[in-house]
Amino acid sequence: MEKRETQQEITAPEIEAMPQFEMAMKRVYAWYENEIIDRPPIRFMAHNAFLDAATEDIAHFSRNQKKSWWFDSELQVDLFLKSIEGRRFHGETFPVYFPNLGPDVYAAFYGAELEFGQVTSYSIPFVGQWDDADQLILDVENEYFKKIEDLTMHALERCEGKFLVGYTDLHPGLDCVAAWRDPLQLCYDLYDYPDQVQRLADLAITDFEFIYNHFDTLLKKHGQLSVSWMGIPSYGRMHIPSCDFSALISERFFEDFGLPILQSETKSMSHNIFHVDGSGVAKHLDVILSVPEVHALQWVQGVGDNYPIMQWVPLIKDMQARGMPVIVDLSIDDLNDFIAEMDPEGLFLWVAIEDEQEELDIINRLKKWV
Amino acid sequence: MAAAEGTHLEQISRAVVEGDREATISGVQAALEANIDPHTILQGALIPAMSDVGRLFEQGEYFVPEMLIAARAMKSGLELLKPLMIGADIKPRGRIALGTVQGDLHDIGKNLVGIMLEGAGFEVYDMGTDVPVDRVVEVIKTEQVDLIGLSALLTTTMPMMESTIQSISEAGIRDQVKVMIGGAPITQEYADKIGADGFAPDASQATRLAVELISK
Repeated sequence: MEKRETQQEITAPEIEAMPQFEMAMKRVYAWYENEIIDRPPIRFMAHNAFLDAATEDIAHFSRNQKKSWWFDSELQVDLFLKSIEGRRFHGETFPVYFPNLGPDVYAAFYGAELEFGQVTSYSIPFVGQWDDADQLILDVENEYFKKIEDLTMHALERCEGKFLVGYTDLHPGLDCVAAWRDPLQLCYDLYDYPDQVQRLADLAITDFEFIYNHFDTLLKKHGQLSVSWMGIPSYGRMHIPSCDFSALISERFFEDFGLPILQSETKSMSHNIFHVDGSGVAKHLDVILSVPEVHALQWVQGVGDNYPIMQWVPLIKDMQARGMPVIVDLSIDDLNDFIAEMDPEGLFLWVAIEDEQEELDIINRLKKWV
Repeated sequence: MAAAEGTHLEQISRAVVEGDREATISGVQAALEANIDPHTILQGALIPAMSDVGRLFEQGEYFVPEMLIAARAMKSGLELLKPLMIGADIKPRGRIALGTVQGDLHDIGKNLVGIMLEGAGFEVYDMGTDVPVDRVVEVIKTEQVDLIGLSALLTTTMPMMESTIQSISEAGIRDQVKVMIGGAPITQEYADKIGADGFAPDASQATRLAVELISK
């Protein structure tokens, strides 16, 4: 494992509603090493809960109105502040605002247009002919790049003592290629035009370090740690590699086109948590874990019939057996069964709870789990 | 003759399963030159091949790219047969309108289901994404569809499935169509609760469900 920046080297901002911040960071850092100080870390917020927390009903808005709503920096930070107002953050629940225009914003930095919905956005594929790929040049002056900067600055002006400010949801790699080309078209391309797929994949990763460093530098200049949508800060450089597109493809194609990207995007980071978005992505675990710079996994089992966690215990145990720290998202109804079944080493639990006393009770329960 | 016919059909079937468009086209051409009935080529090779592809997908041997190129190969073969079948008045298996519910912009699953349904001999009317409830009612009234397929990927948009089914009932046309639903947050329990006729967790099973519903 690479040396990680320690608390003594970088001073974290103070968060009034989270007096145990430093201890929480210690637990997170111990988790990366599969160690436990007094209990496993726990976050009292479910996966993607931020999408519902700081929002308004814009379903009836026109297309342009929706975009304006997402682009209203002051409103977005207001909504986030409202969502954390009066709340105390227990366990390892860090209050983090990250500027958000949706997961395809990386593709938009190169010219893709985004269509905005209620809780997320989608890129409109625009690489129709292969010549269109000649237009794929990073444009730091484009409206999306500038808006992410603007959202970041608005948040930095209002965060002191209240919350951390992170960087946006970056998806270089095949997810970006799928956003440029359309996911189903890309599936055809893997067979029909593998050379062009490789060309787009190379383009999609070329500027990643530059983009990451741009926002990392901006945030660190303002005394922030390194953190994004997962809400797990690092004193160093934290990244969330992922490849949701890989759920659609075979192991062979992921190894050919996804692995080089993963190797590249993780190289300079001190903390990489790979976002495993469902069983479709989990089939690539062998390839994902072949990259030593993948330090941990976030297991996202999905919704509907996939959500109850107990069916995934064998998979999570397999991850533990491989020495991988893993984030597990589960409902409060499953918590007791899960604790009874599992060993706590390497687990970071995410549980959505509405009641503060219940959060404190769960923390005490976790101390007995060890 | 039967053995030769069998060989032609096997070759076409294999070409489809392997996603080999050129081999499918040449296989169909050869079969036609051997005076094999177009209907036999369709029902004896092209459609069963897509069932095999669906099975391979459900078994985890095939993934979306393999399904897509197989469906493309099948369609290429079908295009050669269509002009010959028009005169014979061979109808599609059924007509289905597909859409993602109001407020939801995800379309990968819907598009994949559409491709697989075409591969199974259905005529597909694509309503697109973010489909208003009224539009679904209008499509049932004007497009002579047998089935409606609704997709939702978000827990926030799935309630529109229930609203859509309610509106179809309120319009007095619920008995004109079967409604099947799918998408990540959808379960059989939810389908039963809202009065859908069926639920399928993936494109391959959606195709089998459509075949089953159309036969009822």
